[in-house]
Amino acid sequence: MRPRFQGPLFTLRGIQFDYPGCGPVLRGVDLALAPGQRLALTGSNGAGKSTLLWLMLGLLTPSRGEIVAFGKPRRVEADFTEVRRRAGLLFQDPDDQLFCPTVLEDCAFGPLSLGWSRAEAIAAADHTLEQLGLGHLRGRVTHQLSGGEKRLVSLATVLCMRPEVLLLDEPTNALDEHTRARLLAILDALPQAMLIVSHDRAFRERLASDEHQLRDGRIAPLAHPL
Amino acid sequence: MSHLGDPSAPLLGAGDRTHPARGPIQTLDPRARILAVIGFAGVVILLDQPVALGVALALALTVAALARLPLRRTLRQLAAMDAFVLLMLLMLPFTTPGHALFALGPLTASAEGLRLAVDIALTANAILLMLLALVGELDPVVIGHALHRLRMPTVLVQLLQFTVRYVGLIDAELDRMRIAMRARGFVPGTNWHTYRSLGYALGMLLVRSLERAERVLCAMKCRGFSGRFPVLDTLHFRRIDAGLAALTMLALTGLLLLEWRLG
Amino acid sequence: MHILDGALSLPVLLGASTLAVAGIAKGARELDLQRIPAAGLLSAVFFVASLVHVPIGPSSLHLIMNGLAGLILGWVAFPALFIGLLLQAVLFGFGGLTVLGVNTLNIALPAVIVFYLCRRGVAGPNATLAAVWGATAGALAIALTALGVAAVLALSGEAFIPAAKLVVIGHVPVMLVEGLLCAAAVTLIRRVRPDLLGVMSRSASASASARATAGADSRAPHSSPVQPPSEQPAPVFSEQPARLTR
Repeated sequence: MRPRFQGPLFTLRGIQFDYPGCGPVLRGVDLALAPGQRLALTGSNGAGKSTLLWLMLGLLTPSRGEIVAFGKPRRVEADFTEVRRRAGLLFQDPDDQLFCPTVLEDCAFGPLSLGWSRAEAIAAADHTLEQLGLGHLRGRVTHQLSGGEKRLVSLATVLCMRPEVLLLDEPTNALDEHTRARLLAILDALPQAMLIVSHDRAFRERLASDEHQLRDGRIAPLAHPL
Repeated sequence: MSHLGDPSAPLLGAGDRTHPARGPIQTLDPRARILAVIGFAGVVILLDQPVALGVALALALTVAALARLPLRRTLRQLAAMDAFVLLMLLMLPFTTPGHALFALGPLTASAEGLRLAVDIALTANAILLMLLALVGELDPVVIGHALHRLRMPTVLVQLLQFTVRYVGLIDAELDRMRIAMRARGFVPGTNWHTYRSLGYALGMLLVRSLERAERVLCAMKCRGFSGRFPVLDTLHFRRIDAGLAALTMLALTGLLLLEWRLG
Repeated sequence: MHILDGALSLPVLLGASTLAVAGIAKGARELDLQRIPAAGLLSAVFFVASLVHVPIGPSSLHLIMNGLAGLILGWVAFPALFIGLLLQAVLFGFGGLTVLGVNTLNIALPAVIVFYLCRRGVAGPNATLAAVWGATAGALAIALTALGVAAVLALSGEAFIPAAKLVVIGHVPVMLVEGLLCAAAVTLIRRVRPDLLGVMSRSASASASARATAGADSRAPHSSPVQPPSEQPAPVFSEQPARLTR
């Protein structure tokens, strides 16, 4: 892994965003994520939590505000190519994230896109799958996995790219108790900084060191900080 | 979320397709199987002699037996097709001019028409049976890999892979919509309400699928998508596959010779 | 209606297959990498739709929905519907192998024709008129498909002409049903995401990707803006919000 970046990983200043016809979703979000920090983000349905994660990776474009990632301001699509390589987003719906026919191909997609050789990509995929205890799923067809398996494989596809930051969008959504505990153990053992969007209070409390709330399009101070 | 449900119920790649090889056919390389069935179909449509076609059908039956095709499902698939053409086949003897064979009221059946009908039935069944035996048991994912190796244009292979990946999901989504409709007392019938509701369901399915496609594209970008689709497969062409190729060539030549001798 | 292996004469088979290959190539050229996921998912939707039984009188029929496919896909209908037919033939034994090209031509060419004739109509400002255009698209595509099937049969031999006539007559109820379904689908899409009509065939390759990068940012070229899930018109399908990105 490359030497870890020392300043804040992400700094968001005055981020505004609106979906046409829906009015503003974000009205000026300020947020910073430091190396090693595990920051939880809460907020009601439709508060704009997922939107914020998408903005951080340049998948949506803010109408106003500044995004600084890994020490550089990021504005246009080309700026975000590097951001997406160094920050891994775990999507809310694993079926969006797993688009390749087989688990191995899905895991190798990222490394291959980064220009790694075939052997390196397969090695990275196998290594990550083994690490997460998913080696037995290697040859499986993606759409035949169970919901829990899909979630864990999604995480594997993100980790294969060796990101420095993880952005997790409702990671425990629709998981059974066992898989939820397994995911928690895996994430807890990872060194990466994390931004965790979750409605799962117990999960946030186990994993996160800080917590922010998104309310009325802004980061609101918490009544009861962790 | 529906995908928490039974994963063995997807539309494509039904449970048994993931099982390892069950018969000798299943051990053969998918590319060899695809090429063999294409060659077989190409030759069989050239045949006219009922005897040659009968031999072709016998060949297909043999391969189907070797592939241990599930009898019940195969018969159902053949019957579905045959019901489809049955009408046309029944009409042909009466609409083809030629030597009168027998008369049914004002209609006269001709020997030529009967032979044409038999020809079509034999051809269609032989090709379909061979197709189901050699390729039908393959997982669609493997078919995609094989077609990629066989130089099918990349765009089409990618299209096939996305289709295969998401068809089960979309089918489940449509199912949920229809269950939700039934839960509210919807009974399909021949009326505007039925057609409008189904039309809405299909329209909604399209909208949701396109929105999913947007998210999938984002997921691809997140993983550094640069316009290259890697294909990782585990296909190996071995001596036994060369054997299949040789056997296929032999059988096809035999069929053509038979046709030529009889014709 | 699929044609089967062995029914057509060789020249008809080769001619139609050549045209189908040309159509697929033209459609594939419109597919840049950004739009392949969307095309793949739509191809899956139409594959699923083709397995739906719709009641009609005492019987039921399989949908084709090539009119709707044409309105949304344009030339991309050729590769997308080809993939569906390929999977149907290989996995279920619907349709034949050697007639894959003929079947693709008979289903996808009407879709493309409908795209050119009706796309403006369904995008027009008047909702009722748009629904009428939608019905026209759905019915016309089936009519053209039936005529195409009849034509390749008739060209293959005089003996097939009665069968060809039967195909055309047999498709009249299908025309009516698909016309109604297509009108309803067009109505819904206009209300929910009007920008999706013809989304795959805009010359501006930016359309699909721009929306993906900007959410619903690329404003619909037509009148109504994108509506939030809570304001969606069809209460029948309320389990999931259409937009999960918030």
